[in-house]
Amino acid sequence: MAADSEVSVLPISFPVRFVVAVSLLIAPFSPQPESEVFEITDFTTASEWERFISKIEEVLNDWKLIGISSGKPLEKGVYTTGTWEEKSDEISFADFKFSITHHYLVQEHSDKDGKEELVEDALPLPMQDLLCMNNDFPPRAHCLVRWYGLREFVVIAPAANNDAVLSESKCNLLLSSVSIALGNTGCQVPLFVQIHHKWRRMYVGECQGPGVRTDFEMVHLRKVPNQYNYLSGLLDIFKSKIGCPLTPLPPVSMAIRLTYVLQDWQQYFWPQQPPDIDALVGGEVGGLEFGKLPLGACEDPISELHLATTWPHLSEGTIVENDVYSDLDPIQAPQWSVRVRKADNPQCLLGDFLTEFFKLCRRKESTDEILGRSAFEEEGKEVADITHALSKLTEPAPVPIHKLSVTNMVHSAKKKIRKHRGVDESPLNNEVLNTILLFLFPDAAEKLADGFESRTNTSSGNNPPPESEDYNLFSQFKSAPSDSLTYKLALCLCMINFYHGGVKGVAHLWQEFVLEMRYRWENNYLIPGLANGPPDLRCCLLHQKLQMLNCCIERKKARDEGKRGSMSDRSPGGTSGDAGKGADHSGDNPDKEKEFGKSWESWSDSEEEFFECLSDTEDLKGNGHENGKKGGAKEGNKEPVNLKPEGRLHPHGKLTLLHPGEPLYIPITQEPAPMTEDLLEEQSEVLAKLGTSAEGAHLRARMQSACLLSDMESFKAANPGCCLEDFVRWYSPRDYIEEEVVDEKGNIVIKGELSARMKIPSNMWVEAWETAKPVPARRQKRLFDDTREAEKVLHYLAVQKPADLARHLLPCIIHAAVLKVKEEEALEDISSVKKIIKQIISHSSKVLRFPNPEDKKLEEIIAQIMSVEAVIARARSLKAKFGVEKCENEEEKEDLQRFVNCLLEQPEVSVVGAGRGPAGSIIHKLFLNAQRVSAVPPLDEDLRRSGPAEERRPNTGGAADFPPPAGREVILRTTVPRPAPYSKPLPQRMYSVLTREDFRLAGAFSADTTFF
Amino acid sequence: MDEDVLTTLKILIIGESGVGKSSLLLRFTDDTFDPELAATIGVDFKVKTISVDGNKAKLAIWDTAGQERFRTLTPSYYRGAQGVILVYDVTRRDTFVKLDNWLNELETYCTRNDIVKMLVGNKIDKENRDVDRNEGLKFARKHSMLFIEASAKTCDGVQCAFEELVEKIIQTPGLWESESQNRGVKLSSKEEGYGGGGACGGYCSML
Repeated sequence: MAADSEVSVLPISFPVRFVVAVSLLIAPFSPQPESEVFEITDFTTASEWERFISKIEEVLNDWKLIGISSGKPLEKGVYTTGTWEEKSDEISFADFKFSITHHYLVQEHSDKDGKEELVEDALPLPMQDLLCMNNDFPPRAHCLVRWYGLREFVVIAPAANNDAVLSESKCNLLLSSVSIALGNTGCQVPLFVQIHHKWRRMYVGECQGPGVRTDFEMVHLRKVPNQYNYLSGLLDIFKSKIGCPLTPLPPVSMAIRLTYVLQDWQQYFWPQQPPDIDALVGGEVGGLEFGKLPLGACEDPISELHLATTWPHLSEGTIVENDVYSDLDPIQAPQWSVRVRKADNPQCLLGDFLTEFFKLCRRKESTDEILGRSAFEEEGKEVADITHALSKLTEPAPVPIHKLSVTNMVHSAKKKIRKHRGVDESPLNNEVLNTILLFLFPDAAEKLADGFESRTNTSSGNNPPPESEDYNLFSQFKSAPSDSLTYKLALCLCMINFYHGGVKGVAHLWQEFVLEMRYRWENNYLIPGLANGPPDLRCCLLHQKLQMLNCCIERKKARDEGKRGSMSDRSPGGTSGDAGKGADHSGDNPDKEKEFGKSWESWSDSEEEFFECLSDTEDLKGNGHENGKKGGAKEGNKEPVNLKPEGRLHPHGKLTLLHPGEPLYIPITQEPAPMTEDLLEEQSEVLAKLGTSAEGAHLRARMQSACLLSDMESFKAANPGCCLEDFVRWYSPRDYIEEEVVDEKGNIVIKGELSARMKIPSNMWVEAWETAKPVPARRQKRLFDDTREAEKVLHYLAVQKPADLARHLLPCIIHAAVLKVKEEEALEDISSVKKIIKQIISHSSKVLRFPNPEDKKLEEIIAQIMSVEAVIARARSLKAKFGVEKCENEEEKEDLQRFVNCLLEQPEVSVVGAGRGPAGSIIHKLFLNAQRVSAVPPLDEDLRRSGPAEERRPNTGGAADFPPPAGREVILRTTVPRPAPYSKPLPQRMYSVLTREDFRLAGAFSADTTFF
Repeated sequence: MDEDVLTTLKILIIGESGVGKSSLLLRFTDDTFDPELAATIGVDFKVKTISVDGNKAKLAIWDTAGQERFRTLTPSYYRGAQGVILVYDVTRRDTFVKLDNWLNELETYCTRNDIVKMLVGNKIDKENRDVDRNEGLKFARKHSMLFIEASAKTCDGVQCAFEELVEKIIQTPGLWESESQNRGVKLSSKEEGYGGGGACGGYCSML
């Protein structure tokens, strides 16, 4: 359609209008009821055209647009603050489909019932709206609203996007249909038809009232005829269109808006530099260090600033603008408003980090596949084959292994060897790797020789305090606490993925990490950065696995040290020390769990009693069974009294044994096995599979009685001569029922017995009690096989692909990203961002809590975070441009800050004080600077481009400070009688907009139809 | 058989030892009462399919031991539960006083925060009542729980307790929807701001 671009086909007025005289066209919905009932009406021969018209009428009826439109005069700015709605339907002319849409401003119906006195010959509301000046140039509105100031209208447009009504006769036919439909129904809402290609936004339409009609006409041109460049020319065409017979003409009122565009922000360089990758190893350059996520845009997220200078109400004659002179100096304009154009998808760092990390989730290669080739050439087994890691560590290493830091040294040594050979293909260089390992395992640095600068946990200071809302985010996201190893690992992997070798780097770091885990397990070094105790099921599975490994290390370490300790203990003290030991431990043992990991020396000896010897447990089991039976047969289940008490934790305090009357001791017991959620899942499945039958329930109870049995054995060992009643009083106090009984002497004594359910013959408790041998916990069979569990975890870790890893850690990354935007938002204080962050948190906690969340939902979350980042970046950009920080006057600074925030959240913001206010003068300066820079070279070019019309554009006043306006909008309004001098005076309006590549006139001309 | 089941729900029963957790469950699943039911060891498990408002739901009910020592073991099974029945004995005040501990336990080990909680005061058939109904009511209100008094022995309130709980869970969509295999059609929650999809959007007239 570029061919017809020179001059629009459509003339300003329609030369011929069909005179409608179709007798058959009796509208079935016409408000006047048919008077003659007997007359047969024949629609059988109705044409497509007639059917089309009746369809329009039907729709208008359905939407209740018939009759007099009522409403209050429009308030100022209501087009922006109010809500607009639309209703659509489809109608067709023969087989050509149109959509018909009603656009309207939602209005309160306060006067619905009152039906305020309708003034006899009041003008239809739309005609009144034509003259209303309260909503000129609305910032966001349908174009017809902007052009004609209407509060409601109906548009008929081709339904398909590429359909168009092109020929003039078809256009006229459509317009005639509209005219007939309006006439038949008495609808007062303006009805438009869209003609020509959709992108041209050409509409013609009509509005009818009693004895009045307004025609909406339009001209759209590529190139503007010279005379329409200025106000004078526009006034001329407006007057000639009205063709008013009166002299002198009533005055024309004018509203003018000139819009200026600022594109280059000369000296305001975008403040954020791309981060310097090389400097990263050193540490904290550009806000990027391991353990942190970056934030900010790499390019200016604000691309343009549009300044609209408005003269809202001028009367004709007070101002002159023609090709040689202009009164319209933008600085003098009474109203300024600004909008900013945002860069569409500004490249932002955090967003890029997230997206790239998320892409990892879709990789299919395994760690070996990724690293295999490069490692293959050299020491393949050393790097690629994790299963050999164990042997590698036990091999004589170049450095002695007694220091924790050695692991790092070994890794770097390995790399160095490779470097000497001249082939360094490992994705991560030594420095980066070492920095990361030190960051992840700060305990290695603590024990390191002075050679290295000791960089301990620098980031710990930034973590939110425990118990705070931010800190507990991990339980909502199922990630990991922000000070945990898992969280830090996630951040490091994210960073490496982005800057240091992508998936290869990730695979490499992961391999090193797994090696480190193995090393720590083999050498009894606890893993730092993990909460003590069993796996926290609120965290991600990977975190649980690491915690599990730590539990194993803890137990192994205790056992190993116990062995060593008891061996040295045994020789001097022998058995005589045992009794005393029990008493000693009563004091310090309760605290031991809490002190875990604080100091190894302080607690290791207290654990020495554990699991001394497995083999004699087996022995005891064999014997014990018989013994138990015998013991059970004797009443009271009494054990031989001569047994020495073993494995006492501390006296119960209140209770004494029923029979010997000795204090009841609480035994040292085995801790139950820690479990990760996948193990739990497995186990509950096993338990559930046993079914709901009585046998199933029994089997289930038996499977779980190991712990009960172990406790009973410990109890027996600690309390020689005890009975089940004693045990129950400690273990399930409510199952020992005490009653006050008056004995034969009349004294009140307390008599106790087991509850009924404990007395059921051969119930599981009794059974277990009979089986239980007095064996202290340390000699019992382990309930938790730490070696097996540790190997299972290590294997699990080793087989994780980079994609698995990314899926495991994505919640941590999202968690970190949310904390990051939250932190940055706090500096800017943008209320809309606060709201979105809240939404992100609640959305993510829903999505991330379930296993294997859908990719689409994850993408949504990432997109939300990115949008928040963009808003923050925009806020910063605007702040820098408007020099908010530099402003010294506190009050002005606050005003500026508010102004900047409004720019972010509202489509258009008015400038207080226009060109003379603080914001205004900054904007003025921005333009001035841009003008100065561009003033020198592009003069020729400018002339060529703008053509002869602009060449002669006046160069007065503000023209030097501002570029030529990118848009000129003028609204001309008046009320004159048409078509004859004695007709009713009616509103006339013409809107014109002129931009660089487009000129449009939109006229609404009303005429009295009573005698015409 | 399972085809018409809307969803499978995991329900927990917790509370101090001897308050009648297993008895309540037995009454609900088998409609029997055994005054000498053995003390539960670890966790036990029962299944029942019930129909609430025409929706069939399969309940996997995990019964837990109330003894303190078992508490190192049982909370592992709290994971993924959609509903919990917290039981106390109306004739033993100490079982009522301990409720706070149980709620803390739940808070700590439950993986979700929107789990539906029901408080059941059991053994109302007994004469030596020690905890007034209003106290239970007050506690339930304070912790936003459902509340009912029941007796596993006389059958009072048992069925009702489970049904109410299930109904409430079903009414809380986020709680179970995503676990069922065939999800219904989701209505898109597209925000239709004016100008977003309109004929020419917001900034149409200029530039």
